Amino acid sequence: MTTPASSPQPRRLSDAELEAYLEESLPAEAMVAIELELRQRPELLRRLSTILGRRDAGLHSVGEIWRRHRLSCPDRQQLGSYLLGVLDNDHANYIRFHLDQIGCRYCQANYADLRLQQEETQELIITRRTKYFQSTAGHLRQTP
Amino acid sequence: MSDADTLLIDRIRQGEATAWTDLIARYEGRLLAFVESRLGRRAPSEDIVQEAFLGFLNSLPNFDGKRPLEGYLFSICAYKLTDHLRREGRRPAVPLSSSNDSSGEWHIAGSERPASSIARSGERKNLEEKAVSHALRDQIERWAEKGEWQKLMCAELLFVRGWANKEVAEELDLSEQQVANYKFDFIARLRTMVQKQELSAEVFPELADEEVQP
Repeated sequence: MTTPASSPQPRRLSDAELEAYLEESLPAEAMVAIELELRQRPELLRRLSTILGRRDAGLHSVGEIWRRHRLSCPDRQQLGSYLLGVLDNDHANYIRFHLDQIGCRYCQANYADLRLQQEETQELIITRRTKYFQSTAGHLRQTP
Repeated sequence: MSDADTLLIDRIRQGEATAWTDLIARYEGRLLAFVESRLGRRAPSEDIVQEAFLGFLNSLPNFDGKRPLEGYLFSICAYKLTDHLRREGRRPAVPLSSSNDSSGEWHIAGSERPASSIARSGERKNLEEKAVSHALRDQIERWAEKGEWQKLMCAELLFVRGWANKEVAEELDLSEQQVANYKFDFIARLRTMVQKQELSAEVFPELADEEVQP
């Protein structure tokens, strides 16, 4: 998670960031930082509780809807083009911003996966996929 | 959901093993990256992805085919991951209290009514969310088509990250006035859409926040 460049002190977490924490959608380092802060500042836990209460009461937040529907997330093909460096500059800048400044965890995961596909051996990938299949296929059945 | 994913789900619903292999191959890498970025350890991360796939198969009879498959898999994964982190003692449980003042009621910005007094059906809430998500998507697509990336970045920092105007201005090298203007236009459009569709503006507190031009 980035902080504004000129902030001299750690900035106060916004409600939108705390909402994203509850959704497990902030970047990993920001999630860890909040977990540590929660142990030192009980009032943060109360803010989280307040946010849950607002949700339970049926109030919407624009950020929540934006994140849930992933409204500005580049698709996998666009992330692949970004990785290959074939997007125009402005579009590439936006994707960098979305990955780094916004820290979209789902796009970060997709991007990391695309990068890893170029680095991991096929043998390793097949072994892992076989393990997933063998441990779950017993639950495969005809469903309506 | 894409046509390819719809077909894949249909085949899995028929119990076709090769379709299940295809789904694993298509999605396991991104799910593993999602979990591993948080845990930093490969073995427990693979265990959580495995649990997520199992969870997906068990929930398949109730899966809404209109929902994007990737988002659904990520949400199962996030749930399993959160559960794991709680068990490890890393993620504190948040008390499910709904009171932040002595009255025990939630108040909506710009309204004297407690939120509980506008309680409505889940169907109504979904309708509100759907309408706003469509309006937002249209706006984002327009910005992208016109190459107005800065406006998109501005809105994303303001609403997805919840940054203050001043912070956004510094980050994007804009004046605070420009940020305030972008924000005002954006909120005004959303508010108009909410009014046109005869949705209750009260349930979108951010749209009630800025009534006057900055």
